[in-house]
Amino acid sequence: MPPFTLGHFSQVCCQLLNHYFGEIVGQVGAYLLRRGHRPLFDIPCATGLSIAEVKKALAVMIQHNLVKFEASERNNNIAEYSIIHHNVYCLLRYPKYLYMIKRIYGTSEEILLEILLNLGQASASNVIFQSANRLKEANDPSALHQSFLKLAQDNFIIRCPKLADNANMQKVPTLVVEEKEKFTVPHLEIGPIAKLLKENATQLGEHSDSEVIWRVNHERFDVELRNVILVNAAARRVDSTAGELYHLILKLWRECSNPDSPTTNALSFNVIKDAVRKNEGSSPVLLEHFEQYLRVLYEDTSSLITKVGDAGGGQFILNYSIVFENLACATLDSIVLERFGSKALRLFRLTRIQKFMEQDQMQNIAMIPAKEAKMFTYKLLEHNFLQIKELKKGTSNFAPVKSFILFHVDLPQVARTALEASYKGLFNAMVRQMHDLTDNKRLLDKHARLETLLESLRGEGLPEDELAYLSDSMTAAEKSLVARIHSMNDHLTLGQTQADDTILILESYLKFSSMT
Amino acid sequence: MAAPVVIKKEKVDDPRPSASADAGEGQTEAEIERRMIELMGEFPKGINDKILETDMPNVDKKIKVAILNRLLSQEKVNIFRAAVTKELFWCLKQQPTSKLKGVDSEEKIVMRIIEEAGNKGIWNRDIRTKSSLNQTTLNKILKALEGKKLIKSVSSVSAAKKKVYMLFNLQPDRSVTGGSWYSDNEFESELVDVLNQQCYRILQQKAEGAKQKPLEGPLIVRNASFLSSKEICQIISDLKIVKFNLTVEDIETILDTLVYDGKIEMSATTDGYSDGQVKTYRTVEKLLSSAGIVRIPCGVCPVIKMCGTVGAVQPKNCVYYDQWLD
Repeated sequence: MPPFTLGHFSQVCCQLLNHYFGEIVGQVGAYLLRRGHRPLFDIPCATGLSIAEVKKALAVMIQHNLVKFEASERNNNIAEYSIIHHNVYCLLRYPKYLYMIKRIYGTSEEILLEILLNLGQASASNVIFQSANRLKEANDPSALHQSFLKLAQDNFIIRCPKLADNANMQKVPTLVVEEKEKFTVPHLEIGPIAKLLKENATQLGEHSDSEVIWRVNHERFDVELRNVILVNAAARRVDSTAGELYHLILKLWRECSNPDSPTTNALSFNVIKDAVRKNEGSSPVLLEHFEQYLRVLYEDTSSLITKVGDAGGGQFILNYSIVFENLACATLDSIVLERFGSKALRLFRLTRIQKFMEQDQMQNIAMIPAKEAKMFTYKLLEHNFLQIKELKKGTSNFAPVKSFILFHVDLPQVARTALEASYKGLFNAMVRQMHDLTDNKRLLDKHARLETLLESLRGEGLPEDELAYLSDSMTAAEKSLVARIHSMNDHLTLGQTQADDTILILESYLKFSSMT
Repeated sequence: MAAPVVIKKEKVDDPRPSASADAGEGQTEAEIERRMIELMGEFPKGINDKILETDMPNVDKKIKVAILNRLLSQEKVNIFRAAVTKELFWCLKQQPTSKLKGVDSEEKIVMRIIEEAGNKGIWNRDIRTKSSLNQTTLNKILKALEGKKLIKSVSSVSAAKKKVYMLFNLQPDRSVTGGSWYSDNEFESELVDVLNQQCYRILQQKAEGAKQKPLEGPLIVRNASFLSSKEICQIISDLKIVKFNLTVEDIETILDTLVYDGKIEMSATTDGYSDGQVKTYRTVEKLLSSAGIVRIPCGVCPVIKMCGTVGAVQPKNCVYYDQWLD
């Protein structure tokens, strides 16, 4: 147990580092999470690790783009290391990334990404070589090359920054990103890769593009994950065909806009219409009622599409800050509903919509009996879902001061509270999962060993009754316990991804609302 | 017209010594006064200077003013000023004076205060401060007036023990009784809940009915899922859930609660034949089925603030997780 406590978010990061990279990296990560920018020599002193271990841990984290280094401001011969928080947190989203790539493209792209995620950063040839090795049967490197090009073209992977030209002159090298080349794949020599594969080599030696290394583009995946939420919202609001249309429009918006700006560039009606016509997968219902679907979407109060002009049959933008405000509101509504019930939800929404409310007005308009209304209001206040604003009337010194107590919802503040609680929930689910797994580690190991043994023996053609005899070496009670632990584990993993959905919405809301 | 007002104010404090003196053209002041009251009877909306001038051109203006002021101080007439022309009007007081017969001056004052309060009523204490009578006298007077059935006391919903007084023949205001949703000063929350659910069900059925024709396009589906407050009111009235007459406003307050629940949306449109806006409602889906975080125990945990890696509440031995995982 460390002698200090971290914030909930840092605790989650620390847990992830521990889980994926082991204890040493976890310790170094925890120290950097706590202290921010630190030079190398501070770390062994504080953590009690040897300098070699720390160096290795830092190298691993730099390889995976979890830590960055910069020359110290005081002395530019010393490098200072700091954690890239978002990238560490994204470790949690890797399964989602893989699933998403599989859904959009297919298995071979998924394998490429998996290899790249495992390596942290690698050259194109290396990723293709290793993926081909993994796929075995269908190890055609040129097909994989095409897949790699697709991933780069859609910006899911990005080139790592290069060393600056004057790197030799500095003790701490600086890295530069070439904007133009960010997503351009250099020429690859597929021939040697194919040849090595035929020889069943396990390592790719020297290759032409070993200088150009790639890594995962987290920003692009963020956009895609957000889009999934938006498409689901559109489908819920209207129907699945509207979701389909919205998916198409989101794609067009992404292609023409900067991912970090709070609003997208405008698309005209005709452009959208063309895209719907050209898209092969468009359902006949959408083709027939395209205009109606677009109208229903932009007239909807959720502002999934905002109409900004009439040129070219209508100009449409996506205002991320408004949409994510609505989504954050929906999230908070859901939390209030589940925690405090429907009456509390009514009071919460009422106050949010009316901005400032007095207690009396609240109970009258919400039509909730005074006693109940007061109870729920104070409960919401206690848990920081409502805030109080006191207005004092009259500045005279001797007359009694009349004051109004107004309730209101400070949305960014409430969102931050909920976000913090979500991090804590996520962390708790992770702790619980680790606890359940380590507590039953021996049993699980035994079960895993038995399963592999049975599998291999079955491959060798051992008769069934002998297999059954072997499998009886674990009692029925133990087997059912293992099954239970596995199902619990699945539950907890699912819970973590769901908590992550909430976190993504709230984070996006806070990000975009701070921009405007 | 400002001049007569000024004169009038001066004269009020100065009781005229020769009330029955001859006022010029053979008419006594008493006659003029009678004629004026007659005129006010003929013109229920009030008489202005012009009418007086044409009816009695010979009477001196000062005398007319004096008579009118006397009538005012006797509370037989009211004075008004027209909004646009700023002309002054006088008309007979609505309250027949006969009703106040046998009422002494203190009671009269109290009556006037209560009358001014209208159907909102006035609190005992406010009467006391306005009339500057002491508590015992005031109580006596109020009791006497109640006994004569001139006033009545109504207890307010906002504070159960606060009694307000108003004229006997008035219907108490909604703010006093609380409107349709109160019976005997008790808020009928069950009735409100039932109506809330019923309205939602009606709108849901309408929306489901609209979804049966997807071939006509989403716009038609959406437009067919709207119901106006009038229609909903009609349906609810036909169901005979409530015994009293439901007004459209009553139903709109119920529908508002549904809007605040986030279950329905309101949009204002105009229909062809009635002027003004018509409020129409339809059900809407939330943007999320439920927030992800509430699907794990921590999202709804009542003791999350106490939870940590040390202490009595820990995720390791959390009972909520135990229940959830089983």
